[in-house]
Formats: sequence, structure tokens, C-alpha cells
Amino acid sequence: MTTLDDKVAEPAAAARLAGPWRHLRAGDLSRVVVLICLVAVGQAIAPSFLSLANVHVILLAVAAIGIMAFGMTLVVITGEIDLSIAGIAILSCVVGGLLIPTGSATLVIGATLATGLAVGLVNGVLVAAFGIPSLIATLGMLGIARALGNIFSGGQALYPEPIAAYLWLGRGDLLGVPVPVVLLLLLGAAAIILTNYSVFGRALYAAGGNVRAAELSGINVVGVRATVFMISGVCAALAGMLESARLSYINPAGLEGMELSVLAVTVLGGAALTGGVGSIGGTLVAALIIGIVNNILNQLGVSLYLQQVVTAAVILAVVLPGMRHRGIAK
Amino acid sequence: MSTVELSGPAAPHVGPFFAGLARDPIIWLIVAIFAVGALTSEYYLTALNLENLMRNIAVIGLLSLGMTVVLLTGRIDLSVAALMIFSIIVGVVVMAKLGPALGERWLVRGNTYAGPIVPVVLIALSTGAAVGAINGIGVAYFKVASFIMTLVTLTALRGFNYVLTNGHPYYLKSPFYSWIGDAKIGALPVSFLIFLAVLFVLMVFINGTVRGGRFYAIGGNEKAALYAGIKTQRYVVLAFVISGVCAAIAGIVFTARLKSVDAPLAAGYELTAIAIAVIGGTALSGGVGSPWRTLLGAVAFASGLNLLAIWGVGTWYQNLAIGVVLIVSVGLSKMSRRKANR
Repeated sequence: MTTLDDKVAEPAAAARLAGPWRHLRAGDLSRVVVLICLVAVGQAIAPSFLSLANVHVILLAVAAIGIMAFGMTLVVITGEIDLSIAGIAILSCVVGGLLIPTGSATLVIGATLATGLAVGLVNGVLVAAFGIPSLIATLGMLGIARALGNIFSGGQALYPEPIAAYLWLGRGDLLGVPVPVVLLLLLGAAAIILTNYSVFGRALYAAGGNVRAAELSGINVVGVRATVFMISGVCAALAGMLESARLSYINPAGLEGMELSVLAVTVLGGAALTGGVGSIGGTLVAALIIGIVNNILNQLGVSLYLQQVVTAAVILAVVLPGMRHRGIAK
Repeated sequence: MSTVELSGPAAPHVGPFFAGLARDPIIWLIVAIFAVGALTSEYYLTALNLENLMRNIAVIGLLSLGMTVVLLTGRIDLSVAALMIFSIIVGVVVMAKLGPALGERWLVRGNTYAGPIVPVVLIALSTGAAVGAINGIGVAYFKVASFIMTLVTLTALRGFNYVLTNGHPYYLKSPFYSWIGDAKIGALPVSFLIFLAVLFVLMVFINGTVRGGRFYAIGGNEKAALYAGIKTQRYVVLAFVISGVCAAIAGIVFTARLKSVDAPLAAGYELTAIAIAVIGGTALSGGVGSPWRTLLGAVAFASGLNLLAIWGVGTWYQNLAIGVVLIVSVGLSKMSRRKANR
């Protein structure tokens, strides 16, 4: 991996703007242009594309992946990676699901989120305190969490039907907007404030850019690393809960390969795996791009499997132009 | 470290290779697994089980050998598992489509391919090399991070696998293919011999030639390698091509055993391949590791899983054990390296 010792690759030169636009980068513009073009194509293909119902469909489809990608973006900005998110989502939902017989929504939802936080903390300790490369630590954790999810549930699906508040998370709406979409937008806003306008945000970029310099400037790099893994864990648990609530069943074998899809969204959003670069806004736009592409392909009746191929092509098309200027890529 | 005493005058007769071997914790891990296996199960050291073990090692070993070469350069290849299935599917689909054009009917009832198998194998190998080259060119010349480039290939190939097969498995009917999957020469299964042959070639190339040594140079310090006049980009492409070909061979060995190929097969094997390379001591940062050590990693991994299976430990607990062993082994090696540096 690239993130470890010597950073041979210089991050793409960042053209920064002044004033309130100072957080924007050159790549953000190309992503927004792609997004606008896609919307235009969608509208041309189906007149109902921009109808409220279809916009809800698109947002609902990317809510879980987007929320997971917020957590992943924070982790990637610090120069680490979190491959365990799908495992965390499954394990957390199963732990919460085992408390369904208690009938208490607080307990079920609380246990789900707490499990995500706890597993994220373990990841953070392994990476930040023990110095195990995050790729290995979270890869191992992916296997462990998935296995524990199966062991705790006995491989059986759990049904959250008795908990009305749980189902509301996936199927309810607030002022006509689906709850997962509200959560996606709220968390996105919170994460943008966290990364761009807080002391923690500055520490985050500093720790990802140059660890040694950050340490010498008094930033608690270990603490920052551990925190982003905990945030990623909670995001994963929440996203898993939204999906389980929407389907109204907790599937211990679900979310297969989700970690890589989320990583793809994060990278499409402009985060560099070398650390120090990335933005929540970019990730949100990237999630929308993926959602719109899939929505258009669905409207055209393209098979789900061919959609994977198209998605891969879109990622490459967006990511490629920004890469050429770099010295050495790993 | 305590290793200083071991390498002292106590072992003057043994060559440095074996002295190094005796100090290697993974050797003791393998010895321990086999000893515990022999003591706790009467089946562990039977010919049948060892044969089974060797067949398992062949598939995951081939994948991790290719992965090792890529990791040596400081890159990563996530596409290997999707590629190992894709290359076979391409071989079968191309030949099945070509058949009618030549007036032959090679795809018979029940989605069974009964045509000539050698062209399928050759197409599979070239597909592996071609996809590896695409990965390598993307990484070396277009400067896409290898993690992203091969993630994109992984996604695309998984999609293609379903599109090309329409979601139905293809069955392969061929005496030669069955021979690769089932036959033995002496006590060793053919698939394991294929693995050993690839291992031998890679060991000679990587550890025995100047050109092979350049993979270490690139992984150790890429800028220095570049300034020393090594055409680093070509070697990066070559590493991915080697990985692609290894994946195709793994696909051949794997599907020859199953006598069928199906899109969802081998899901997640890319992570197993990384785990084996890392257990064998390959560093993700590049420049550290060797095909020989990856063999040890594959043997330790496969024999450990085999032991758990013989004990009747369920798959879930096996996966749990893999995760724990992966984290602990990397953590221990990290700690011992830290101590050595102090």
C-alpha cells in the first residue's frame, strides 16, 4: 500500500480558491459537470427523471452507501482504509437484532450503534496503537465481524417487525422526505462542518498529509486515527440498520462486497488513498453520480451485471484525468 | 533479539539457508499444525488428506504467488479472483461461439462444453496476461493508484462474468481437463505439480536473476530505482502480467477440479491471496517477501484450515480464526521488527 512509509507519489497539485470557496478543488468541478450532464441525459431519456418520486428513488438507493462512504472518507483522509464496514454493519445489526424480543427500540438501536462504535474502536486501536497496517487490520476485522454475525445469529435472518421505530428508520418519512435521505443529508452536512470548520478537521488533514509534521505540531495523531475508525464504525452500523429496516429483515449474509463499492464512491469523490486529500462534498456528489448512473441504466432496462461494468467505466473515466500529473503511482 | 544466539556457533555445519529456516517462526507454525494434526486426528496425515491439502494449496498458492510479485513492487492486485474465473469463461465462450462458424457443435446440451480444451486453456492464459497488462499500464503509465485500478477491474470483470455466462454455470467435459483436476503423478496431484512448476520459475526469475531483483529495488525505493536507470514502468506492468497469468493458471486448476465454471465462484479469494502473502512475510509497502516464503504462507494457511475442518469446526469459526491469525501474525512481526530496530 501507498500509505505506509515513504510517500513517493506527490498528491495532485491543488488549485485553491479564495474566500468561501477555499475548500473546493479542481477535481470537484469535473465531478459536478459530470453530475449535471448525467441529470441532463436522464431527463432526456425519461421525462419523469426529475420528478420528486424518482429523485427520492435515487437518493434512497444511495443513502446507505453514502453514509458508509462519509465514514470511509474520513478514514481515507488520514491515509488509512477501512475494509471492515460491511462486517461491522452485519455484526451490529445482528447484535441489535438479538435484542428485538425486549421490544425496546432504544435498546435495539442503541446496541446496534454501540456495537459499530466498539468494533470501530478495536480497529482504531489495532491501527493507531499497535501500528498494524489498516488494510490488514480491517481485512481481518471484516472476516471476524462477519463470522461473529453468523455465529451470534446462528446464520438465521432476524426480523425487526415488532420495533416500529426501527422500521421507521428505513421506511418512514419526515415532511414527505424518506428518513434515510434525511439522515444522509444531515450527516453529510455535519461531516462537512466537521471536516472544514473544526479543529478536528484540520487535525484530520494534517495527520493524513504528513504524520511526522502533525505530531511535532502537537496533534494527537493516534487519537485522530482512532476517532475516524470509530466514526466509520458508527456510520457502517447506521447504514446497515437503514438497509435492514428498509428490507425489514436482518440478513447475516448480506452486504457482500459492500466495502469495495463504498471505497469506489470515496475514490470517485476525490479522496486519495495516500491520505491528506478528500472531501465529504466530493463523496456526496460521487454517491449521487453512481445513483444516477444506476437509475438511468435501470430505466433503460440494462441488466444489473452490465451496470457493474458501466459503473467501473464511470469511475475510471472520472478518476483518470486527475492522475496523469503525479510522479509515481502505487 | 534471541535470534543472535541461534545463529551463533551452535550450527556450524548447516548452510545459511537452513539456519535461516530454523529461525523462521512460520516453519514452527507449520510444524506445530502438522504435529497437532497428527496427534489429534488419525486422518490428518493420511495420503487422501494430504492430497486434498495439496490441491487446496495449488489454487490459493498460485493466486498468492502472483500477488506476491505485485506486492514486491509496492502495488496491490485486487482483481485476481475475478480474473481467475473471467479468463476461463472467456476461453469457453469464445470457443463455444467459434464452434458453429467452423461447422462444429462444441456447446452441447446442458450448457456443457465438449470441444477441444487446449485452445480454451490458451485463450484463458492470454486473457490473464491481457487483463494483467491493462492493470499494469493503468498503474504505471496512467498513474492510477493500483488499489483503484484493480478495484475497477474487479468490479468490471465480476459484471462481465455474469453477462457472459447469463448467470448459468458452464460444464467442462474433457479428459485432459479432468486429468489436470484429478490425476496424480506419483504421490503428487497434477495441480500441485503445476503450482510447484510456477513457484520454481518465479523463484529462479525473482531471486536468481538481475532482472528479477529489480522488483525488490522498485519496492524498496522507487525513485532510487528510477534514477539508477531501471525502467520501473515496464517492471510494474510485468508484475501485473505475472499476476494475471498466475490468476489464469489458478483458474484452470480450480475449474479443472470442479469441471465447471460459474460467475459467483471464488468470490473474496483476492483477500485470501493477500492474507497468504502477508502471513508469508510479504510487506504491503513493497520490497520485502519472496515466492518461497509465500509457499510457506500458503502451506500454513491451508494446513491450518484443513485441521480446523477435520476437527469439525464450522466455516464461521474458521473465518473467525483466519481473521484473528491474520491480525496477530502481522502484529507480532511488526513488534519483532520494532524490537530489532531499537
